[in-house]
Amino acid sequence: MINTCRNERLDHIMLNSNLHLPKNRHINLVQKNKIWVGMFPAMASDCEIHFANIDRKIAERLTLIAANETWRIQDKFSRYQDDSVISKINTSYQTPFKADIETAALINYAFQCYDISDGLFDITSGVLRKVWRFDGSDNIPTQSEIDQCLPLIGMDKIVWSDQRIQLKKGMEIDFGGIGKEYAVDKALQLCSQHYTCPMMVNFGGDIAANQPPEKNKAWQIGISTLENEKEARSLFELESGGIATSGDTSRFLLKDGIRYSHILNPKTGWSIHDAPHSVTVAANTCTDAGILATIASLQGSDAEGFLKSQEIIFSCQR
Amino acid sequence: MNNRQSIKKQINISEKKNDSVSAAKLITAATCALLAATSVQSLAAEDKGWQVDSAVLLYQEKDRVEAVEPAIRATKKFDNDSILNLKVVVDTLTGASPSGATATDKPVTYTRPSGNGSYITPAGEIPLDDTFKDTRTQLSVGYDAPLGDTSRYSVGLNVSSEFDYESMGISGSWQKDFNQRNTTFMLGLAYASDTIKPKGGIPTPFASMQPAGIDPVREGTDDSKQVTDFIIGLTQVINRNTLMQFNYSYGQSSGYLNDPFKIVSVIDSVTGDTLDNIYEARPEDRTKQSLFWKTKYHTPWSDTVDFSVRLMSDDWGIDSTTLDFKYRWNISPKWYVEPHVRLYSQTSADFYVHSLPDNGPTTAYLSADYRLAEFDATTYGAKVGYKLSERAEFNIRAELYEQTGDSNPGDAIGLQRQQDLYPDLEATILQFGYTFRW
Repeated sequence: MINTCRNERLDHIMLNSNLHLPKNRHINLVQKNKIWVGMFPAMASDCEIHFANIDRKIAERLTLIAANETWRIQDKFSRYQDDSVISKINTSYQTPFKADIETAALINYAFQCYDISDGLFDITSGVLRKVWRFDGSDNIPTQSEIDQCLPLIGMDKIVWSDQRIQLKKGMEIDFGGIGKEYAVDKALQLCSQHYTCPMMVNFGGDIAANQPPEKNKAWQIGISTLENEKEARSLFELESGGIATSGDTSRFLLKDGIRYSHILNPKTGWSIHDAPHSVTVAANTCTDAGILATIASLQGSDAEGFLKSQEIIFSCQR
Repeated sequence: MNNRQSIKKQINISEKKNDSVSAAKLITAATCALLAATSVQSLAAEDKGWQVDSAVLLYQEKDRVEAVEPAIRATKKFDNDSILNLKVVVDTLTGASPSGATATDKPVTYTRPSGNGSYITPAGEIPLDDTFKDTRTQLSVGYDAPLGDTSRYSVGLNVSSEFDYESMGISGSWQKDFNQRNTTFMLGLAYASDTIKPKGGIPTPFASMQPAGIDPVREGTDDSKQVTDFIIGLTQVINRNTLMQFNYSYGQSSGYLNDPFKIVSVIDSVTGDTLDNIYEARPEDRTKQSLFWKTKYHTPWSDTVDFSVRLMSDDWGIDSTTLDFKYRWNISPKWYVEPHVRLYSQTSADFYVHSLPDNGPTTAYLSADYRLAEFDATTYGAKVGYKLSERAEFNIRAELYEQTGDSNPGDAIGLQRQQDLYPDLEATILQFGYTFRW
């Protein structure tokens, strides 16, 4: 047993030292039954990609491809790096920023979701985090604090034409609401272009698969959405498509017996009342599922009703 | 119309937003468009930029020629899958090479081909002439692009220049994939036109080499040759680990095919003494055909075996066989070692002689150039590579070349029997290479 552990560890060291990746960016491979699972940290999650019917070498290569693509997206749209695309857009009030093909496609997509959701899905709503601090305390913001944010929110205030984007001073955009789900779909797309085999991507509960691992079998996925929960609350069997979860598991404020979830209505600046603790949706792609889960959460008490009317598979926890 | 208005038109959103039944469908359509629009992006991001390969080759024959050859090649892949290639090579040659004259038992004075100056070869040694030492610069440009879904074409231009030789050539090829890209068929054509302007002029074939100071016998200051090559090839994926390639090529050269610096010794038919040295005469045409087969095999432990055979035959009477074997041993993701062995064997040209007896029949063509003789050659060595990063690699190649021919041919006359008429040639090759992408 000691020898196997040592070999695995050597493998791990060889794998990573020779990939010239910085210490917090590494990939690891384990085999569970006949499935190779590639793992790497990204987007504040433990990311996994499962492969059926291939050998280790290919799993390693594909995991590296998926990891590099995820880190690429993470760096490109990171709020914390000054040279990221998002940072440049957030300082575009002086000079409009010319978006590349991918950024333009994401901005267009955000606008479409804004229209479809009647303004509830809004990537400019991030400024509200300056007044809403979800630390489990009872510090809810005052109306006047919220009123100061409202003029800086609203995608209809963005100037977007000819692939040039310009925000008003003080406005910010953030792809946090779709970034992880987009990375899941992109990782799957890119790996599928390099090799044909069943694969399932799972970035901390945001999932996509291209085909079932075996004929007449499906990927078994357990979603446990509340912290400290070891048992899965919902069990999904996924053949292909995407799953995403929107939830408030640990981010909330509690005052006078009312729970304020971190799902905020961008039109009023207030927390959505009676939003489910978590919403899990299955759809064609992870990005689809993510948007639908977010819009459903924004319906508050009507989340289930909204999802039922869309005729899609879902699960809500309250 | 700005982007937003066009989006709204695209997905037909009605002003009444109570239509929530279609929200999921609208989102699905929007996501589809997003993932389609960004897929080209992912692929293009991988290969963008330039890749530069650079190397310096050091070639040293024992007691003979020395060459230093720096080369640099830059390749750029574009978004539309086309590739631009630029290459510059500089060759500097120094040292001396056999002139074709025979080894003999007394020191002999030979005139330089230019007519100015001479050199003395000691007794018992093969005469070496250092006149050809020179610096050559070569420039190549190539462009390779897709033609529809499964075809590609390429065009290239080559020019090279040295003090007494210039060459200009163009090439083109077309290839098509079949069988889900498991089979590739290729056609290629190349044409080159060379001009030679040796110092001292073009020697008259069969004319005697004049002593230094006396006007050499010449027939012009320059001449030219044209070379056309045609190749047809098939590359086939045999299985997941094996790839094979088959090529047939046909080449035709015409024009001035002599080496103006090469001579043939006329010897006494009884004693073997050198009586005269005359300039060689090769045909004005040469047709070459060759068959090539290569196999590349990927071992289960991720190394690669590369094996090829080439059979060549031309209408000068030279038939040759080349066997080449390489094993790429990937020691670790950073290091590799690649041992290499090449075996070569050729028969002599019909008009090749090591020397000409003075009572022999006159022949239309004549040459004593050791490269047209019958010989075997072995090359063996290894290359070691180190990946500095995902984008850069450094490598060193060291090889030994040994060429052996008939040192004591059966028709050696008199004193020639004590001479080594085809000394072994040994050369060391050392190459330093550096590849990087940015």
